[in-house]
Amino acid sequence: MNSGIEKPMELNPATQFKQLYDQEYLSVYRSIRAVVLDAAAAEDLTQETFVRAYRARHRYIPTAPPGAWLRRIGINLAISHLRRQKLARFLPARLYVAPDRRDYDRAEARDVVGKAMAALSPKLRAAVVLHYYDDMTREEIAAVLGVPAGTVASRIAKAVAIMRKAMASDQESDTRRSSNEGALRGR
Amino acid sequence: MKVPYVEDKPTPGGIRTPSEVDVARMIRVEVESWTPRRGPDWTDILIRMAGTGPSPWVVYTTASAALIVILVAAYLVGSALQLGALATPPAQVHLR
Repeated sequence: MNSGIEKPMELNPATQFKQLYDQEYLSVYRSIRAVVLDAAAAEDLTQETFVRAYRARHRYIPTAPPGAWLRRIGINLAISHLRRQKLARFLPARLYVAPDRRDYDRAEARDVVGKAMAALSPKLRAAVVLHYYDDMTREEIAAVLGVPAGTVASRIAKAVAIMRKAMASDQESDTRRSSNEGALRGR
Repeated sequence: MKVPYVEDKPTPGGIRTPSEVDVARMIRVEVESWTPRRGPDWTDILIRMAGTGPSPWVVYTTASAALIVILVAAYLVGSALQLGALATPPAQVHLR
């Protein structure tokens, strides 16, 4: 968390990269999970992110913190993963194996925030998690996502509006359900 | 006498709509509750790094370049040896 305060570091030695892996693993995992909303896929993509980062370590310019660079790789990987899944739905049934979403569905049923996040597009989710969880500024998010800062601001505003609406309607339906149950019990 | 309840500071979007601060806090709490089942696995990283071949774009680029070389070579050989459709067509001579 708080990748904004890290100091840039050289990634060349494997030991230093291992240190970076231990340090950043959890926050990279969470950022990816916010995009894919799937625990198992997020774990796999996190590992893949570090493999790709290690391979591309020579291309890393230490002007930005390594955490932001890792998130950029991870979020791009997550969005490509979702795009591939979307395309795979057009494949014949035998070639397409639907992802096991039971774990997420359980979580989704458990909380309001999960449901509200699921209502967002992956790009909006990425902006939201980088802003509210990683505490990144709009400029930092813009650098991670490769979009202008204005786009980031509008994505965050849009995401919050959608989430607020989703949470309100969810609470409303919960209240309606409980009052119906109460009425049934009263009969 | 019963006085109907009137909200003095109505929340934009309705009473049940959480504020932006609430949404931010809830997102943070939700995301912080996400913990990976396996956790960091450096050995898996090493296995992945050792077991992977060239990246797909390298394979596709090499295959495309090889295909172009084969097609150009076939064309050159075919026209040099005058094979098949690449041979010079026979001249149509009409004698009366």
